[in-house]
Amino acid sequence: MLITKKRLSQLMVKFPSPEWVEEYAKKLNENQTYKDAAKTWEGDIMFVVEKDESFPKNSYIYLDLYHGECRKAMYSDSLENLPKAAFTYRGPYSNWRKLIDKQIDPIQGILTGKFKLEGSMMKIMRYTKAAKEMVNTATLVQTEF
Amino acid sequence: MWFFRSPEVVFGADALSYLSSLDIKKAVIVTDRFLKQSKVMDKVLMSIPKEVKTMVVADINPEPTFAEMSASLSKIIDFSPDWFIAVGGGSAIDTAKVLFAIYERPDISVYDITPLVNLNLRRKSRLAAIPTTSGTGSECSWAAVVSEEEGRKVELASKEIMPDIAILDPSLVVDLPREQSRNTAVDAITHAIEAYTSTWRNHYSDAFAEKALELILPNLPKVLHEPSDMDAREQIHVGASMAGLSFSNSQIGLAHAMGHALGAVFKLPHGLCVGLFLPSVVELNNDSAADRYSRLNRIFPDRYREKELHSTLRNYFAEIGQPLNVKQAGIDVQRYMSSIDGLVDLASESTGVTTNARDANSEDIRRIFMHVV
Repeated sequence: MLITKKRLSQLMVKFPSPEWVEEYAKKLNENQTYKDAAKTWEGDIMFVVEKDESFPKNSYIYLDLYHGECRKAMYSDSLENLPKAAFTYRGPYSNWRKLIDKQIDPIQGILTGKFKLEGSMMKIMRYTKAAKEMVNTATLVQTEF
Repeated sequence: MWFFRSPEVVFGADALSYLSSLDIKKAVIVTDRFLKQSKVMDKVLMSIPKEVKTMVVADINPEPTFAEMSASLSKIIDFSPDWFIAVGGGSAIDTAKVLFAIYERPDISVYDITPLVNLNLRRKSRLAAIPTTSGTGSECSWAAVVSEEEGRKVELASKEIMPDIAILDPSLVVDLPREQSRNTAVDAITHAIEAYTSTWRNHYSDAFAEKALELILPNLPKVLHEPSDMDAREQIHVGASMAGLSFSNSQIGLAHAMGHALGAVFKLPHGLCVGLFLPSVVELNNDSAADRYSRLNRIFPDRYREKELHSTLRNYFAEIGQPLNVKQAGIDVQRYMSSIDGLVDLASESTGVTTNARDANSEDIRRIFMHVV
């Protein structure tokens, strides 16, 4: 079945937004490769989309991840409205856009200063495959920027 | 944006004499217990000017744990060196990297040695590495492997633990036993092949990988046949270092992820372990990296070359005596089979899985573990 341009735009969700986060969590829970890579992971993570010249305000995405499942996904413009997370992955909006378009590798993004990661490095280094799958999942969301 | 990082590399005959030109006041020499009383250590000590105060740390076992690595840390702090000089194979050099980092920053944990943390080292000392094997590439890499008590190998990495100077003196490897010459060279071959197909590969890592294989592949059989062939030894020594530069500036892949898991559980030489899985990993990756493997296949000497790289590798490994299955590797097959779940879990946690040429899930990894039975 052909999808028209108009229909495609109806399917697309704006990044970042509550709708995008909902769609992302759904896709993450459907991703068997992520489930496999994160089967022993326990911990929540906060994605911080920082404002830049293309985006006017900071946005926050909270994900409660447990044994390969996203148990809760929340979006807010304010950090105060969200639980505190064990890990934070932050970067400017333009770099998030490149990440979702697969122009930036999530780990290389940190090494090149495009993103910052806070939390237990010992723990996260054992789950780089899961991190990669989280980004791969983001590319599956029909995203409008 | 990406980087190419390298130590200052001093190579060739008499390279060791470069030590005398360095401004060293107090040096900690980190080596393994087998080298402590050896001709190699005598040569190194003779190359250091007499006025330099030295402290030798020689209690390093193969595949050391952090507790073993750091047993001498308080003495080192009291000694307050301005240089660390690593002399040995991968375990000694990796230990020196960890001691150097923790001496510089006693406030950090060994697990902070990741690419994700700015360590701000080199406030008190610097690091030179003198390999006495030709394979680990640790003298040129940003990586260090630490074993954990519970049977896991942790891959540490930071640009800041890359040595300042790597000294490649071929006279230090001429007496390397046959088995160690083969195991370490197989590690280097695996570094080059995995770096060349890593998802983080780049022009620099490509160039070093190709040249490394050009130097190592024709010369390894020569050295195994005639260990005193200094020309062949030197080419392998430089090639192994280039393979180290290659993977350090791209990444390793699945053969290393699986080799680390096997080595951690069965306490086998690292090169033997990664080489055991390399042909099967290349076979798995073939559809994702066919052109690249084809280019590497052409570097192998004609007499080993088949249509596909994984078959060529099996020919080459068979000739040099690198095991192609667990039985040849001297592993008890029953114990191996009963360990596979744990091996799959360990391998799946390695960063090598993330940067492998092809996405590999735990079932792919299990299949390869089974493939070498």
